[in-house]
Amino acid sequence: MYHVRVLSIDQPPVEVLRVEGGRGEPDGFRDFVAARSGALLRAGWLLTGDWPAAEDLVQTALAAAWPRWESLVRQDAPELYVRKIMVNTFLRWRQRRWNGEVATGRLPEAGGYGDVFAQVDARQALLAALDRLPPRQRAVVVLRYFADQTESQTAAAMGCSVGAVKSHAARALARLRAAPGLAELMSGGVTS
Amino acid sequence: MNTQEERQLSDLLHRVTPEPPRAVTIEDVAIRLASEAARGRRPGGRTRPRIGPRIGPGRTGRGRAWVPVLAAAAVVAVAAASAGVATLLGSRGGPASPAGAVRGGTATPASAPASASSPAAQPRRTARPTWAPQSISGAPWGAELINPDEVAQDSLTGGDGSLYAVVSGGLDRIDPATGNVLRSAPYQSAPPLVGPPAVVGTTVWAVWSYTGHSVMLHGYDATTLASLASVTVPVAGWLPATAQGVLTAGPDGNLYLAAGGSVAVVSPSLRRVIRRITVPAPVVSVAVAPDGSRMYVSTSAGGQVFGMLVYDLATGKPVSSSSASYGGGGNLVATAGGVWGTAGTGMSEWTWFAPGGNLNRSVRVQGGAGGGLASVPTVSGGAVWIGGSHTLACADPATGAILASAAIPAAGGALQYFGRVVVVGRHAYADYQGDQAGRFGVARMTPPAACFG
Repeated sequence: MYHVRVLSIDQPPVEVLRVEGGRGEPDGFRDFVAARSGALLRAGWLLTGDWPAAEDLVQTALAAAWPRWESLVRQDAPELYVRKIMVNTFLRWRQRRWNGEVATGRLPEAGGYGDVFAQVDARQALLAALDRLPPRQRAVVVLRYFADQTESQTAAAMGCSVGAVKSHAARALARLRAAPGLAELMSGGVTS
Repeated sequence: MNTQEERQLSDLLHRVTPEPPRAVTIEDVAIRLASEAARGRRPGGRTRPRIGPRIGPGRTGRGRAWVPVLAAAAVVAVAAASAGVATLLGSRGGPASPAGAVRGGTATPASAPASASSPAAQPRRTARPTWAPQSISGAPWGAELINPDEVAQDSLTGGDGSLYAVVSGGLDRIDPATGNVLRSAPYQSAPPLVGPPAVVGTTVWAVWSYTGHSVMLHGYDATTLASLASVTVPVAGWLPATAQGVLTAGPDGNLYLAAGGSVAVVSPSLRRVIRRITVPAPVVSVAVAPDGSRMYVSTSAGGQVFGMLVYDLATGKPVSSSSASYGGGGNLVATAGGVWGTAGTGMSEWTWFAPGGNLNRSVRVQGGAGGGLASVPTVSGGAVWIGGSHTLACADPATGAILASAAIPAAGGALQYFGRVVVVGRHAYADYQGDQAGRFGVARMTPPAACFG
């Protein structure tokens, strides 16, 4: 059974929702969440640049996958589906020009803080470079080069053609090539 | 992956992308689904979802949506709906730490007027009779217990002739002469607090919530503790779990708040963020030099390493940096000579002084605290004060030299602890806990004249 209690600031705790008879936890879903949430969160971080927003994306995608889990497993495509929901949710947020809190604490200039901050500098430079990309190019970069999806898988996730994926990827690479400091990072500047 | 450039980009993304601070669990997903169900939405609906439940009075309908039942039915979600703070019990192992990097805050506007649900100040409701000061046997500097309330560790602060302390469930204004609680403002649900309140003019500012996407400050009238205002400060990046001492009042009359990957400068009069200084890592603690020229920021760099960045406040640019590997870096205070803070975590802590904010020159200045207690430096009455469970000390704010110190004896085999020391008049006050009788509260001491220069 699942309970949600509400604690109002003005009132003592009141139980307002008690859900019974809902659908059970599908086989394998818990294991999938445990095994893959880390990688999904990292992809979400690359898309949004922000851990809370990344969690939001992953939770949204997993919540969408839960009711369809058995069907997704039969199709051997649960992770593809989760990534598709993540990308589409991310693109929808951007389309709607959502103006909620977005991380703005970016390093104005890379380097100069010593070794302990080198990794932080690299992350900030990477996020700054990704911020220069339009949302669809950013999504292609994450799916192709972080999630290691093929061009056709990426196209399926984004609902576009393989040609469009190639075009987005080429343009994204050109923009990243021009991003300050990223070329040095790509050629192996910082190690984790 | 056809080209070398593509392979390099792929390698970079895998190499640089950090590990997440916490995992998403199936319980998170269940809560999301239940939340959407309560709002009558289908999973993955077309409204931007929020982290954590947003269910409140008036949203009790079961709706049309699909709802889950967990195989491991151990989840209870408690949502502080009015405050926008979610706390998970049960499967996450208990309430979220106030200082933890809790996911679950909800999106909030950049600033907000005083909340209609903010508690009003009220005279202390207590059945206890007027408290007669009790001596603390063997304790340094003639310490006596003047108030027996359960004061949150290291939450005591002073200003405008009064003491202010976070107690169980609220903020108290305490008369330093008698120890009596003069006014009390309850916290009814928000998890207080990270560090002590800050007094600016006639307003006491406290960190009301420190979770998720935003930090909420709440201002109270320094005399009546009437609720005056709340300011919600969006967080850049994330809030480190090791944050300690996140709010300080600058000499310019503004509040400086550690807000993830930035320091937010809040105008108490305008009640909004007027400046944001970005920092290349999550901020653990912040302090401002007495002349307002420098800002000291300690940052979390993983493991036992923490960094110290010194900013020129005129330009907002960093002017120096250093790091140390002895852990901590919280509870910063700044003096004319440099910056002070807490080192170590967990069972053993002590206080360091870094001349000019350079950790490479930092020195340990005092015995510190054991038993999971904190060693917290304060600046009050013209001296630096360092509490703990081993020694009480006052130090020269310019040089770091100890001016006077006294050992804190164990009482009946129990550690005695004097936390955050503040000075009102010629007395020093500290939150106290310990001795064989299990007493706690506010202690008053009479330090030697050396401490007052």
